[in-house]
Amino acid sequence: MIGILSTLVAAPFLAAVVLLLVPDRARLLVRLISLTGAGVALALSVRVAADYDLDAGGFQMPELYPLVPAMGIDLRLAVDGWGVSLLLLTGVIIFAGVLASWTVKERSKDFFILLLVLVAGVCGVFVCQDLFVFFLFYEIAVLPMYLLIGIWGSSQGVTEAGPFRYVWKLFDIGGREYAAMKLTLMLLVGSAVLLVGILAMYFAAGGTTFDMEVLGATAYPRDMQLWVFPLLWLGFGSLAGVFPFHTWSPDGHASAPTAVSMLHAGVLMKLGAFGVMRVGMMMVPEGAVYWAPLVGGVAVVNIVYGALSAMSQRDLKYIIAYSSVSHMGIVMLGAATLTVNGWNGAVYQMFAHGIMTGLFFALVGIIYERAHTRFIPSMGGFAKVMPGVAVFFTLAGLSSLGMPGTAGFVAELMVFLGAWESASPWWTIPAILGAFLTAIYVLRAVRGIFWGPGPDPAFEDLADARGTEWGALVVLGAALVLFGCWPGLIVDFIDRVTPGYLGVLTQGVVP
Amino acid sequence: MIPLHAYLLLAAALFTLGVYGLLTRRNAVGILISVELMANAVNINLVAFSWAHGGTVGQVFALFAMAVTVAEVVVGLALVILLYRSRKDVLVDQARDLRH
Amino acid sequence: MSAPTPFHWGLIALLFPLVAAALIGLVAPLRRAGMPAALVSIAAALTSLLASAVLLAGQIDDPSRAVVEVVGWLPVAGSTMAEVGLRLDGISLSMLLIVTVVATCVQVFSLGYMADEPPSAFGRYYGFHSLFIFSMNLLVLAPNLLQAFAGWELVGLTSYLLIGFYYRKPSAAKAAVKAFWVTKFGDMGLLLALVFLFAQTGAFSWDVTLSGGWAVVITALVFFAVVGKSAQFPLHVWLPNAMEGPTPVSALLHAATMVAAGVFLVVRLDPLFVQAPETQMAMAWIGAFTALFAAVIAVVQKDIKRVLAYSTCSQLGYMICALGAGSVMAAYFHLTTHAFFKALLFLGAGSVIHAVHSNNLADMGGLWRKMRLTAVTFIIGALALAGVPGLAGFFSKDLVLEAVHERGLWLPWLALLAAAFLTAFYMGRVVFLAFFGTPSKAAEHAHESGPTMALPLVVLAVGSVGAGYFGSSFAELYGASYSFHMGLSGIVATSLGLAGLGLAWLVYGRRSLPESSFAFLAPIGKLAESALLDRMYTFMFRRVLLVLAGLIGWLDRYVVDGLINVIGWAAIEGGRRLRRVQTGNVQDYTYAVVVGTILFVIWGLWP
Repeated sequence: MIGILSTLVAAPFLAAVVLLLVPDRARLLVRLISLTGAGVALALSVRVAADYDLDAGGFQMPELYPLVPAMGIDLRLAVDGWGVSLLLLTGVIIFAGVLASWTVKERSKDFFILLLVLVAGVCGVFVCQDLFVFFLFYEIAVLPMYLLIGIWGSSQGVTEAGPFRYVWKLFDIGGREYAAMKLTLMLLVGSAVLLVGILAMYFAAGGTTFDMEVLGATAYPRDMQLWVFPLLWLGFGSLAGVFPFHTWSPDGHASAPTAVSMLHAGVLMKLGAFGVMRVGMMMVPEGAVYWAPLVGGVAVVNIVYGALSAMSQRDLKYIIAYSSVSHMGIVMLGAATLTVNGWNGAVYQMFAHGIMTGLFFALVGIIYERAHTRFIPSMGGFAKVMPGVAVFFTLAGLSSLGMPGTAGFVAELMVFLGAWESASPWWTIPAILGAFLTAIYVLRAVRGIFWGPGPDPAFEDLADARGTEWGALVVLGAALVLFGCWPGLIVDFIDRVTPGYLGVLTQGVVP
Repeated sequence: MIPLHAYLLLAAALFTLGVYGLLTRRNAVGILISVELMANAVNINLVAFSWAHGGTVGQVFALFAMAVTVAEVVVGLALVILLYRSRKDVLVDQARDLRH
Repeated sequence: MSAPTPFHWGLIALLFPLVAAALIGLVAPLRRAGMPAALVSIAAALTSLLASAVLLAGQIDDPSRAVVEVVGWLPVAGSTMAEVGLRLDGISLSMLLIVTVVATCVQVFSLGYMADEPPSAFGRYYGFHSLFIFSMNLLVLAPNLLQAFAGWELVGLTSYLLIGFYYRKPSAAKAAVKAFWVTKFGDMGLLLALVFLFAQTGAFSWDVTLSGGWAVVITALVFFAVVGKSAQFPLHVWLPNAMEGPTPVSALLHAATMVAAGVFLVVRLDPLFVQAPETQMAMAWIGAFTALFAAVIAVVQKDIKRVLAYSTCSQLGYMICALGAGSVMAAYFHLTTHAFFKALLFLGAGSVIHAVHSNNLADMGGLWRKMRLTAVTFIIGALALAGVPGLAGFFSKDLVLEAVHERGLWLPWLALLAAAFLTAFYMGRVVFLAFFGTPSKAAEHAHESGPTMALPLVVLAVGSVGAGYFGSSFAELYGASYSFHMGLSGIVATSLGLAGLGLAWLVYGRRSLPESSFAFLAPIGKLAESALLDRMYTFMFRRVLLVLAGLIGWLDRYVVDGLINVIGWAAIEGGRRLRRVQTGNVQDYTYAVVVGTILFVIWGLWP
């Protein structure tokens, strides 16, 4: 009997396999199959959420398929409250992502195949309980990105003016191949570091099993924890955009096609933060407690530094990409607090930021597709020609600056509350300052794009969102407001397991 | 009776000649000939040791080696001819079209 | 079905505007039709008004009643951390009534004022209005500080949207973001206060029992946010710019209700503020300073809306000062009366602007004959603001002055008295310049506004006259007592007010004193005008923050990312160098093999 979790992971993958058998020119069929795969994933994630027994808590719906018994590698699936919320996020984003990339023209079949494989990997990470397979899914999620950006990426490179353009030319910076290569290489270096940490734990625990429960219950020597945790933090952290390993993000997100940016910023970066919490903090608690001040400090740097960098950008996609760097800082700050509020906030911020940034990138894709520019100073007055896009962009912006009534506010509030309760309370203040800086750059962008006289004669006949694009925008926008007004829908799942995890974490640490 | 080391010296001389040719020739045919010299030096050694130790295994082996060498020369010469057809010369250091 | 309880009425008051906003926002045909959207919005506001009137009537019968209904909103560790719901008591219900009355008046007024807008913009305007009313009610009826914060931020959002209503106008776009940024800057304080409050008490409750250092810190942070939202010095700079919005918006948000939210918040948190005398002292001084400072600026303004905007700053200063003096009653009473006469003044100004199509006082004049009703109501409002005996402002302003006097805050008291004189003077100036004297060209073709604009003026004028007489009922609602008596403050302030009006009459009415004899005021006004402060903020924003951002952006591109690129470049370059070893020439490799063999042989034979 195949369980619901393996079905959920397999659904996008199966859709990708079916796509292989379909001719490339059956464009509508390709899209419908992809949408079905994504829709099944979304429906199953909702089903998982509905089936998850909130009273029981913990890990549920377990499945076990032996893979390599000799090395203790099994396909071990189970889901907890965190997994439920992040699966929902993945489902929503991939569904909206397929809708948003309805108009991909070039080699669309291959595009959707890679997209679906990527999503299968993401779902796998969220439900996997075997560290080896966890890592495997993690890589499956990361690698298709190289092709997706390299082939379908935006051909408009970043042209740098000024004295440094020769340096840029020298390094061949700005093209999509550059971005794809940089992203993949930086993430792979992270994975390599990560693998060292994972293997260290495997062997220290006896080298008989990769079961995360067993590995997590093992009390590693303190010395080992102190060096393993930084490996896990930086390894996963490179995907979460931890400073200073975030620089793949602006170039990568700017060059990636719409749906890929949505998935990458919306879901993949969360894999990194999820990994830091699930593998890093929960399995090597002493290391986590020891390094938490640094993790939190770097997270605060992320928040403020990312916001300031975003403020200095004039390319729309770069603004959003840097805002992701800033907001992932809030996730990492929440994780570093090691408090219930902070962790709830961190996971909820993953969810909220995923939806919000997915919406952002969907909108940026629409604007770019119409106007063929991402350069804000050349825009202005777009609200007249694309009012729908303007409304949703403002909504996403409000969530990112923490407006009550949107999911972003709830998450930030919880993180701030947790930060003040944590061992290094002063982080709260720069973090709140970061939220203010967000207000500045987001509203500047809104003003620059949508407000003011204009639009320029060249942009006078830009169309508003249409067809499936509305679907993507409405799904994401409604989710932002719904989960902002009624956060309990998601936070109940998260909160069901967080105190237990933290209890184990702090219990294992002898002060 | 000719001592074993005389055969071995002959073989060594032939082999050295072959190596020299292999290293210095630009012409593919010349290189093939040099390789033949080296292979035959090995054959002389085989036959000589076989004779010195008594028995025929070494001689049989030399026959096999000759057959293999023939096959090798056939393939090699075929390549040389193809090379000549496409380039009008058989200079190995000029044939670097595949190099980036 | 049983009779509706106060809770039901509260829900109706809160949710009807939200439903209207959602309908207008989501049903595109309704929004594009314009007028139906407006009617939906007004119907919702009227329902809300009705519900709040019912509630307040019940409250007056039983002043000590407090209905609190909450549901859990956010869980933590299995229990509920934060709730949302309603708190219906004297403070919230009287504020609710003010909000809904003024909002309904403004909405009806807007029917005429905004009639020239294209239908879709008209619908959007009413959608924003409904959202505002909902947000304001959310704030007013909040059972805890967290929900109040949500409402607080949402009214900031609607303020942003409504100031930027004419989004195609660059100055409006600028004013909108400026208002949002400045108030959001203050809101950081409130957010931090929320965090501290939760850390100290484990809840966001209104009834806080804290004292000592934390009380001072939290109240100071709350006050910081109040300074931003209620446009107190030095964060008042956004309010004059906010006049870029449509005039009815200024009346509702930037005069009567939203800016008064700061006062409301302090009133709500009074138990905490009582424990923090340091904060109260700061409030008294800042409030008094703002009252005087803004009044001085108002004297030299040429734009009628800007006069009123600075006047709003000034009057809010009175309220803040009263709160600083510890008199919730005085502040709240003044808030109430001010809401009526300032909304009236703004709507009157709107009516005038609608007639002459200009904000400039110089384009008006002699409108008395053309617009009798507007003139009468505007003058009532102006006299009420000036503190003429018998009108609403007279009672509440005297109460504020008395409270400050009793507390022994002499300098603030004197500042407020001076402000009272200036207030009367600048209001007199506006009245004489706009309604009397020789009409300008634009004013010659002015005519009275239609009934939808006239009716709200009359309603508010009645409020401006009558609100002052309900002092004792108001006092009962907040558990205070009030009885009118004419003290020293009252006599001095009233005579100063009358003197101010008289001086204005001499200068602008009879023209027996040349305007130039006040030339010495101009530099003070110029100095005091926000230009200097504004320039400083602009400098901080453009020359400090943006430069810093540029620097960080540069650092990221070239140093942090540069390092990564250098590593990548080093790998590529290293590979390129190393590649030369691989010539692709078999003979070269053979050389290597031969040389290697020889070396091995030598190595092996080495003794």
